Amino acid sequence: MPERTLNFGAYGARGIKGYEAVARQLDALAGFVATPVTARRGLLARLRYLTRSDQSRQAARAAGLTVTDRTLRAWLRGERNPSRRNLERIETAYRAVRRQNVSRYLLARLNREGRGTRVEFHPLNQSQVLRPRQRVVAYRTLNVRRWDRIVEAWAAGDAQALDDAWIYDAVVDLGSEWGQYEYVTNIGFAA
Amino acid sequence: MTDFDAIDALLAGARQEVPLPPAGERRALREGLNLSRTQLARALEVSPSTVGGWESGRDPSGEVREKYAYFLKGARTKLAAAAPAEQPEETAPAEAGTERPEETAPAEAGTERPEETAPAEAGTEQPSAHGSGDDGDEDVVALSTPQPCVLCGQPARHQVAGFPQHLDPSHCGTPERTRTLHQAPPTEPSLPPASAHPRPRTGGGVKVVPAGRRLKTADDPDLIAAAVSAALDQHGGDVEAATAALVRRAIPDAMALLDQTRKGGRYDIVAHPWLPDVLRKQTSRGPDQIWEARPKWTRAELPPGEFEVTALDVNGAYLSALKTHLPLGQLEHSTGDRHDRRRAGVHLITPPAWEHDAYLPNPIGSRDEPGPLWVTEPTLRLLLRLSGPKYGLCDPPEIHESWTSGATEGLLEKFRVALKDARDRAIAENDDVTLEYVKAMYSKFVSTMGESNYNRELYRTDWMHLIRSQAFANLWWKAHRAYDEGLMVVRAMGTDELHVIGEWRAVFPEGRGVSEVKVKDVYTVGTPVAAGQDV
Repeated sequence: MPERTLNFGAYGARGIKGYEAVARQLDALAGFVATPVTARRGLLARLRYLTRSDQSRQAARAAGLTVTDRTLRAWLRGERNPSRRNLERIETAYRAVRRQNVSRYLLARLNREGRGTRVEFHPLNQSQVLRPRQRVVAYRTLNVRRWDRIVEAWAAGDAQALDDAWIYDAVVDLGSEWGQYEYVTNIGFAA
Repeated sequence: MTDFDAIDALLAGARQEVPLPPAGERRALREGLNLSRTQLARALEVSPSTVGGWESGRDPSGEVREKYAYFLKGARTKLAAAAPAEQPEETAPAEAGTERPEETAPAEAGTERPEETAPAEAGTEQPSAHGSGDDGDEDVVALSTPQPCVLCGQPARHQVAGFPQHLDPSHCGTPERTRTLHQAPPTEPSLPPASAHPRPRTGGGVKVVPAGRRLKTADDPDLIAAAVSAALDQHGGDVEAATAALVRRAIPDAMALLDQTRKGGRYDIVAHPWLPDVLRKQTSRGPDQIWEARPKWTRAELPPGEFEVTALDVNGAYLSALKTHLPLGQLEHSTGDRHDRRRAGVHLITPPAWEHDAYLPNPIGSRDEPGPLWVTEPTLRLLLRLSGPKYGLCDPPEIHESWTSGATEGLLEKFRVALKDARDRAIAENDDVTLEYVKAMYSKFVSTMGESNYNRELYRTDWMHLIRSQAFANLWWKAHRAYDEGLMVVRAMGTDELHVIGEWRAVFPEGRGVSEVKVKDVYTVGTPVAAGQDV
């Protein structure tokens, strides 16, 4: 595909994939528990979120937290502490469940009944590129009207799908130079 | 370049300072001729902001005063000549009635010196106003299709040296309404006299702008007045309910006003830049690492005696602070003890020692812990200025590292001016609804432009800190000015409070405008000195 960068950073440009920046921003908007899972407070907050109802228990199980209810109860009461591997599982399950729960509302806010959300593209960092190889890549903004596939891919945690959705639903609308915005320093939007 | 003969004659005639019309009338005269400040400033060889200052109350002096008076007189004469010829073409007599008094008053005043009218008409300050005079030497070409005027952007039918423009400055700024496309394009650039056209006036008529091939009425630029009247209509004139409704929607309205004032601006407002960690909150409720230098200073001791202290309140401190050097784009990191005046941001500095705490507040505020701290651009500039040769009050601060970006002071300038004009108008008209609305707009705009859930359109924590610091720096300068003029500064607190002892009315004008102060409180402090006691 001609617009995609094959060997990014060969001349010193720095940046991240656009979809990574989008996922980061969506995560920031989703608002996870700030305390780390390694702290007792953070662990309890996550476990309570994952065991609030039968539905959330099922969702947690589907997201990879395959421990018995007895273990969960013991963790919640503080009789036992999860192992390091289980802590990781709790963290990933919590993030996945939270994303799924939030996505409906986030999607509605981003689509804004079809009016869409203004997105800022902050171009990649060329400060380490040799002067003759530097190119003019301007700051751009775009109104993205359809977020459905983007939010869906983000909620499912599917990086490839998110990349495709981001490129084909949003970035290509920048025009023929959209390839310059495959890598960015930041994608800014709010919901 | 300029014909000074008339000015010389004027100088010979009147040695003492030429009287100028009042400030409000000066602007009306200039706008009556549809001249921009820039055009006038170029003719007078001053800066446009100087002309703006003259129009808002300051007085020029010396040679430029003569020139300005000459211009105003000429403008008066011209308007007086245009006014009667215009009358039959007036379409809205009601509007004409409201306009007339302002225009006839200068006209009558202008007749005092009838000998001035002739040189005013022949003056070279408006060379293009007389097409017959310069059709021979300048390459004026009539255009078959109107092109946007380089001066005002409206369609113009002539071009001079390749630049489409209106030959008569009174046509600039408005479309040529009386002409029709069926007329044969005039081959000679001499235009009928300006009085043959309905002269566009500042108040009347509907402003139109070209939209594609057609014209459309221009969007109502006064969002504030429109919102206020709509709210009053909706609530049936209930002032309190309308105010409450307006205050509730102040944030989105401020953002809409910001968007409107940035139309055609040079720089985009970057609303969601990447921010360095120093600008991010460490915890959800905690602060970030920026020190805004909020003053909280009280003089330690007073000389013996009893003093009357006046607590002064600076009007619209945050509104004035919107004029500050704001970083445009993403902040970039740099290290080293260098300050670039064209950039702005936040800096990690070691503040200098402050030895004047007995009578002047510390410019970095009441900082308890020593060591380096992150300050914003206004605080750093304040410290640099104070350490400079002019003041020499402290050592220069040592800059360790900086997060800066290219900066401009004009980013929020139109926004600020729109709010300030609305505020001034509201004060003049005693309009409490607009006043409250404007106050809510700028104060909430500043307080929610960071990571606030109430305003998700703008995430500029850096700007929020910079604007607040600018307000504090402005207050510091007020305290310094009071000290400089011989007042005794007793307290400097918060954003806008300054307690002084002495004849402050000679230093600060009292009033409700943003450049004025108002009295918050008057109290006495100290012990009365007995009459016979030796102090």
